[in-house]
Amino acid sequence: MKNITTHQFSALLLITLLVFTSFSCYKEEFPGRPTVALVVKTLNNPFFNDMQTGAEEMARELEINLIVQAAEREVDVEQQVQIVENLIQRRVDAIMLTPSGSREVVPVIASANRNNIPIINLDTRVDADLLASDNAFVSTFIGSDNYEGGLIAGRYVGEQLNGVGKVAILEGIPGHETADSRQQGFLSGIGEYPGIEIVTSQTANWERNMGYTVFQNILQSFNDVQAVFAASDLMALGAVEAIASSGRDPDDIIVVGFDAHVEAVDAIRRGVMHATIAQNPYEIGRAGVEYAYKVLNGEDIPNNINVEIKLITRDNVDE
Amino acid sequence: MKQFFNNQNLDQIRQFGTFFGLIALCLLFTILSPYFFTTSNLLNVAQQSSIIAVISVGMTFVIITAGIDLSVGSVLAFSGVVMASVLHAGLPIPIGIIVGLGVGFSCGLLNGLLVSYGKIPPFIATLGMMSIARGAGLWFTDGRPISGFDDSFRYLATGEIFYIPVPVIIMIVVYVIAHLILTKTKMGRYTYAIGGNEKAAVLSGINIKLYLNIIYGIAGLLSALGAVMLTARLNSAQPIAGIMYELDAIAATVIGGTSLFGGKGTVIGTLIGALIIGVLRNGLNLLGVSSFIQQIVIGSVIIGAILLDTNLKMKKN
Repeated sequence: MKNITTHQFSALLLITLLVFTSFSCYKEEFPGRPTVALVVKTLNNPFFNDMQTGAEEMARELEINLIVQAAEREVDVEQQVQIVENLIQRRVDAIMLTPSGSREVVPVIASANRNNIPIINLDTRVDADLLASDNAFVSTFIGSDNYEGGLIAGRYVGEQLNGVGKVAILEGIPGHETADSRQQGFLSGIGEYPGIEIVTSQTANWERNMGYTVFQNILQSFNDVQAVFAASDLMALGAVEAIASSGRDPDDIIVVGFDAHVEAVDAIRRGVMHATIAQNPYEIGRAGVEYAYKVLNGEDIPNNINVEIKLITRDNVDE
Repeated sequence: MKQFFNNQNLDQIRQFGTFFGLIALCLLFTILSPYFFTTSNLLNVAQQSSIIAVISVGMTFVIITAGIDLSVGSVLAFSGVVMASVLHAGLPIPIGIIVGLGVGFSCGLLNGLLVSYGKIPPFIATLGMMSIARGAGLWFTDGRPISGFDDSFRYLATGEIFYIPVPVIIMIVVYVIAHLILTKTKMGRYTYAIGGNEKAAVLSGINIKLYLNIIYGIAGLLSALGAVMLTARLNSAQPIAGIMYELDAIAATVIGGTSLFGGKGTVIGTLIGALIIGVLRNGLNLLGVSSFIQQIVIGSVIIGAILLDTNLKMKKN
């Protein structure tokens, strides 16, 4: 009996594993060429899927191997740290990292430094102070300036309201570099219009559902709100749905998001949303691989590479 | 080791099965990846598994009493941020750790009180605590992580004693103590008795309420210990840390052969369960398998382990 059960258990394990590893096992496309890894926050967000596509294309052009990994959950920085540790064990030649927590990844970056594996920081900046205090470093940062994007959004809202009005903010997760910079940028942009009042600023955790409920509550308490800036399109789309379900005219409230998510672009086209800030994740992914390749070839690269950012409105949405 | 072979007890066969599964898994990855079976990677896996492994000990005690604790991840986050703020206030490290452990124990004790005196099903009581502790952590920190600690605190994650990482040593110590409690003490016997047949346990004069409080308190305490380890490792305490850790801990416990119906289970099995999950994640990472497939594989292993349990039970009858 012992034999049957142990065999059954291990057989189950082995079959499952063999089936899945056999058809999903990573194969080096270019044996003998360098292998770089792209570790993103999550792979179930179109933003990071675009980044992956850009990275894959550039990797093919440069004939280098690319591994793409992400934690199961976007907020799980501990699992992301484990993935980077495992890539260090696997001795990849370089790691491109979009940190799930800008501070929490510092120890594992220090560990990559000790193992002489260059880190290319993409999209979300690693905390500079903690890097310095751990004597750790990244080879370069490639991304769009979130602050700049927030600033553009702030100025747009100011212009649209002709400098007078009441504005709400849906924040990302506080303490996230991305969330904080976008919000700071927006506040500076809107600050150029002293007639505008920020009536409330609340977090919706980057989530669409929360964007919906939080903005529904905001509509209850501040029914004269004229514009909302959401630090991500998912939250903005939640707000758009809240406006629709409240029966208000979509033109009553200016909704500005961030990320140029496909659904947000579509919402702008349909006239239920007003603007979004387009980063170019595809370009970030391409540049990531390109500069990783340069680092591996011993070239000097700038420590900050800005990828263009632009405002998408109803006027230019079809371009 | 010898015991496994000599004793025909079903639980031990089950444990041997799990252990054999772990070995088979390691063999498989050794064949598939040249990077798996190296000292540094094996220590890496042990370290990566240590936090979930420690939390899973509390989960095992609770599940043996036929309960469940869904709040471990949230309690971890809450006790972590409280400890971090104490450390940031400049108080000595031991004080910070004691306060953190105290917060974890209190949350656990509250779970215990709700279950024992409040007669609330453990699933509901700890579901409530899961939300309360998460909210408390977010409110306490305004949603922001608390980062940057002294090297002497971070030693709890980065240090090594005879080449063994400190978190691995903490894990081993916790397991040795928990194993001794479960197998050699009155409390251990009562834990099984409560889960095996609560009425019989009451009739035989066991103070069930007291022991339930202690057991849920221990689960909270160990979540807080997980918080100490995680905070030292990331050099940061996040109020959003530990989301869904309860599921990993339940998975480790169940793969390790503890029955969700209570009365049955061992911490050694749980340790093997936690290592199986750790080895799976690590090995699949080394092979470059996508995280989506990893989820499918881990789910299949959990189901496989339960299938084995049902199989054993049918044979027993």
